[in-house]
This record gives sequence, structure tokens and C-alpha cells, in this order.
Amino acid sequence: MASHGISRTSGTLVRSEEQRQNELQQIATYKDLVDLVNTKVAERQYTVEVLGLVTKLLNENPEYYTIWNHRRRVLIALLPATPPDSDDASSPERPHEFIDGDLQLTFALLRKFPKCYWIWNHRNWILRKGESMSDTKLASRLWSGELQLVGKLLHADSRNFHAWSYRRDVVAQLQRLQAKAADSAAVRGLVESEFEYTTKMIKANLSNFSAWHNRSKLIPRLLNERQANGTTRRKMLEDELQLICTAINTDPFDQSIWFYHQSLMSTISSDCPRESMIVQDLSNGERLRHYAREMEYIKEILEDEADCKWIYESLLSTASFYVQVEAGTKAFTTLEMQSWLDQLRRLDPLRRGRWDELGRRLNL
Amino acid sequence: MSLVSGPGRGAGMTEMPAEMRLFADKHVRYIQSLDTRKDELEYWLTEHLRLNGLYWGLTALYLLGHSDALSRSDIIDFVLSCLHDNGGFGAAPGHDAHMLYTVSGVQILATLDAFDELEKRIPGGRQKIGKYIADLQDPETGTFAGDEWGEQDTRFLYGALNALSLMGLLDLVNVDKAVEYIQSCVNFDGGYGTSPGAETHSGQVFTCVSALAIAGRLDLVEHDKLGAWLSERQLKNGGLNGRPEKQEDVCYSWWVLSSLATLKKLHWIDGEKLTSFILQCQDPELGGFADRPGDMVDVFHTVFAVTGLSLLKYPNLEEVDPV
Ligand SMILES: [Zn+2]
Repeated sequence: MASHGISRTSGTLVRSEEQRQNELQQIATYKDLVDLVNTKVAERQYTVEVLGLVTKLLNENPEYYTIWNHRRRVLIALLPATPPDSDDASSPERPHEFIDGDLQLTFALLRKFPKCYWIWNHRNWILRKGESMSDTKLASRLWSGELQLVGKLLHADSRNFHAWSYRRDVVAQLQRLQAKAADSAAVRGLVESEFEYTTKMIKANLSNFSAWHNRSKLIPRLLNERQANGTTRRKMLEDELQLICTAINTDPFDQSIWFYHQSLMSTISSDCPRESMIVQDLSNGERLRHYAREMEYIKEILEDEADCKWIYESLLSTASFYVQVEAGTKAFTTLEMQSWLDQLRRLDPLRRGRWDELGRRLNL
Repeated sequence: MSLVSGPGRGAGMTEMPAEMRLFADKHVRYIQSLDTRKDELEYWLTEHLRLNGLYWGLTALYLLGHSDALSRSDIIDFVLSCLHDNGGFGAAPGHDAHMLYTVSGVQILATLDAFDELEKRIPGGRQKIGKYIADLQDPETGTFAGDEWGEQDTRFLYGALNALSLMGLLDLVNVDKAVEYIQSCVNFDGGYGTSPGAETHSGQVFTCVSALAIAGRLDLVEHDKLGAWLSERQLKNGGLNGRPEKQEDVCYSWWVLSSLATLKKLHWIDGEKLTSFILQCQDPELGGFADRPGDMVDVFHTVFAVTGLSLLKYPNLEEVDPV
């Protein structure tokens, strides 16, 4: 119903009578399966056989959310209500076979439909179910496996926001389990490796804003885990500014990069909430030095890229940060700011209304 | 999104240059044809969207000035056939209740001004629906689940506040707590994600900004920052994308544009270029709009194209409420 990227010509071909009959046959078969599943579930026939029918239907239509609910109804009946006693050898394997089966089913479906909410949702549910039947060690193993799965899906589409959300959730689950096991080294290791993962993703594709975003959220946590002091925090800020400046130099027309630059600049401001700051005890002198250095660096790029509007926008926003700290600065002039604004109007007429308003706000 | 009644505006179609023409009659016929396609497998595979589809089609028809193109009593019959005893709506008869469809059900009843009929047929119906929605609020965090299975998303939070406010039942939930949750989803760019920590996305910006508007708390939005981020969604060809460095798509004409309208920053993008992009996405022969020029049309992109055009004040369209 909501189709994306499918060419119109491929759909509007007139069907031959034979094709029409074929399609009617397909409809009848599909509707029979739907009726069968709905009837069996209404009769509370929560059996392995019905689970098989549900699987078949979900493979044909994973968007049919009611059928995922049916699946959970059947599974709840088939799975033991309490964790199996580890000394009980009567049928220790069976429950985990169901969990594994659903992990396989949802993985195969996510490969084909990586943006279907219901599949992600069911995978989450089955993992929680699996966890409730496992000890902490086995539960950790279950959730750890998810990092590999989501890595595969992000390899296929590095901007899939379902996959990134799921990745953050998996990390949160693992941290919960590690905290339960009082394993603080593992918690820290996980944040470190997630941070490394964003480095890897960014290096593969600078314009992956999803990776930049996740990085911005991980840094404050990482610094806390490392129990970083003022010196190491300053080093982190330097490294990030270095990284982003190299990226700007590589592709000054990519807006993902500029948004990350903007996020770093906003962490320097005293308006930034303390928990999001990279350096928590920056002096105003340090702030001004950062702003001046950024402006100087960006102006250098300007020499080769005079038609890149992001440069002028960044100069203006950094200048606004600067005057917040020191109003009567000589680092740049109102005339310069005026000329940057004129460039924005020239290079970016789509957003003229915004530039006009900015000019009024900055008294230019 | 809801409809406000009032006269369509001014300028005649005849003044429009050919490439700026809206094939309104074709779109009306396209929407009317949607329920006659029962010999196509796709019709059956999309049954889980029937109620939303009806809301989208109905909204488009209202904006196009053809509110009578579908039978009012047939619609009410169908909507009520999706209502469960617990007060939630499913996507179609026999489908489980869920927040997404409950919101569509309420929106349709509001559009048709049919809450009285609801009460006549199901005494206490409005309260029942309100309770279904209110029970899905998480008392700890303030956000909402989609159904009894517990998936949470800011989409459901917006849907809940929207439906409750349409029914005049906002007092059934803890609005302050919901607002607190939205605040925990805000990012440095002023935008919002599906949950705390998630990347800003136009769809979620729409849901969170609209929810804040309903709660009367737009003062919490960083207007300039978010307005800037939203305005950067416009690409050279006039179309809007949903996130940085992604492709343009007609459905974002609604998510992005309505958020800009709520923030009173519609003039931060080029409306004329966007209008022309949207119009290029229509099928001038069979009606309907696609995600991009030349692609397959569907009712989802059709409604967001038409609501987008309405916000852009395209002539002879009814006015739409951005929230
Ligand atoms: Zn779309």
C-alpha cells in the first residue's frame, strides 16, 4: 500500500485473462490459509502444527500483525511458564528449539523486509522469552548474538534506523545483564567496542549520519566509563575535532559531517547540559580559542570551495557562539558576518526566508 | 492531522501553467476505485492497512472538496465493524486491536462528525475507546505502547494524544509525563527519534512536535535549531527527504512541512519548488501520487501529497490542520 521506488510502468501493464485467473487462484489459496490460521487460533489449537501454518502465512505476509500476535499466543502455550530446572533432564532441549526457530524465522524475514516493524518487535519478544528461560550466562550469549545479526543488517543498509535502534537496545540489554553479574569491565568494554564500531562505519562512509549520531551519544557514556579526568576529556574533544575537520576537508558538501561538527560545537557552549558535555570544566578562554581555531580552519577550506554554503553557515553559527562569550570581539567583524550572510543568500536561495530571519536575529 | 472546515480558497485553476496542474478529478476517481480491486492479490496482502487506508483516502477526498465521494454510512459501518469490545480498533474485521488503527478509527469518526452515531450504536463507546488508549500509557515513563504486547514508540504517544484530544478525553492520561518522555527523546539538532537516544527522523519530529502542540507545550521546542534541520530536508529538485543525505520522497512533504507549519517556519523552504515536485509525482492519467516522479502510486503517498499541497496553499484545496 505504501510503495517506494517501484516504477509505474511495471505495475500498470494490463493482465491477460490467464494472468488474471492465476492471480484469482493465488488469492483463493492465500485466503484459505488466512481462514485456516484464524479458525485454529480462535479454537485455541495452540499446537506445533498450527505454529507451522503461522510460519507459512508470515512468510507470505510479514506485515500481517495479527498473525504475529497469534504466533505469540501459540508459543506462550507451548513454552514452559517457569524456567526449566537445570537438574531436570527429561526434555531440556525443547523450549530452546522454539526460541532458535523464531530467531531463524525473524532473521530470514528481516533480510527480506528490513523495515518491517512487526518482525523487529517479535524478535525482541522472543529474546526476552528466551532470557526468562535461561541463566545469566546463557542470556548474555543470546543477546550477544544479536550484535552480529544487526551488524549484518547494517552492512546491507548502513542507515536503517530500525537496525540502529535495535543495536542500542541490544547494548542496553547486555549492560543490564552485565550489571546484574557485577561485571563492570564488560560494561566498559561494550561501550568501547560500540564507539569503535561507529569509527569503522564512518570510515567506510563519511556521510553516514546514523553512525555520527550514535557516536555523539556514546562519547559522554564512554568518558564516564573511563572515569576520564579533565586532561583525557580535552584529548577526546581534540581528537573529535580533528576527525571532523579531516572529514570536512574530504567532502565539504556533505551535510552529515556539518551536523556532527555543529553537535561538537554545541557541546563546547556553556548552554550545553553538563551530562552531554565532553569537557565539563572548559574555561571561557578555552571556548574562545576553540571557536577561533574552528573559524580559521573553515576559512582555509573556503579558499578552495568558495561556493560551499555550509562553510558560511558554520562561520556564522560559530561566530554567534563566540559573541555569546565575548561580545566586543576583534576576531571577526560585522562586515565579515554580513558578507557570509550574503553568500548564503546567493548560494542557497531555497532557504532565503531563513537567511533573512537569521540576518534580523544577528542584527546584520 | 485533522480537517478544519471552511471555504476553499481563491484563485481559479485556469490560471495555472500546465506543469502546475493538479488532476483533482483523477485523484478522486483513483481513491474511489481502491475498494474495487478485490481481484488483485495486493488488495488482500494489505488488509492490515484497511482502516488507515480509509482515513488517508477520506482525508484526501475532503481536501479535494469531494467529501461525498464515499458513502458516509458505509464508512461508519466499516469503522465500527473494526471496533473490539475492549475499545480498540483493528485494521479490518477480525484483526487485533492496536493503537495505530484505533487512532485511524477515531480520526475517521471525527472527520465524519460521527461521535453521536457511535454513542447511539454503542452506548459509552467514546469512553471505552478512551480507556483503551489510556491503559496503554506506561505510568513509569509516560510513553505509550502499541498494544498489549508492549512495543513502544513515539508514534503511539502522538496517536494517543491526538485521538484523545479529538474525543475531548485528554484528562484520561498523564499529559505532563508524556511531555517529559518526549523531552527525553530530543537530540542536539533540536529533533526527536523513536525513543531516547535514537537519531532524529522527520516522521518522529512530526509526531513529537504535534504531540507537544496538543499538550500546549510548544515552548519546549528549540524552534530555530529544529527549523534549520527541517529546512535542510529540501533538496535541489524541490522535494524533501526524511534525514540528512537521504533521497527525497513525497510522504515527507507532510512530516516535514506540517512540522515547519507548526513552528511557523514554512517560509524557511521554497514552497513553489516543493509544489512543483509534488505535482510531478502524480499520475495524470489514472490518478494518485507516488513517492517520486514516475513511480507507482498508492493512497499513502496520495494523502500526504494532497495535505502537503494544502499546507502550501495550492488553490481550491480545503485547509488542513498541521497537527
Ligand atoms: Zn514515502
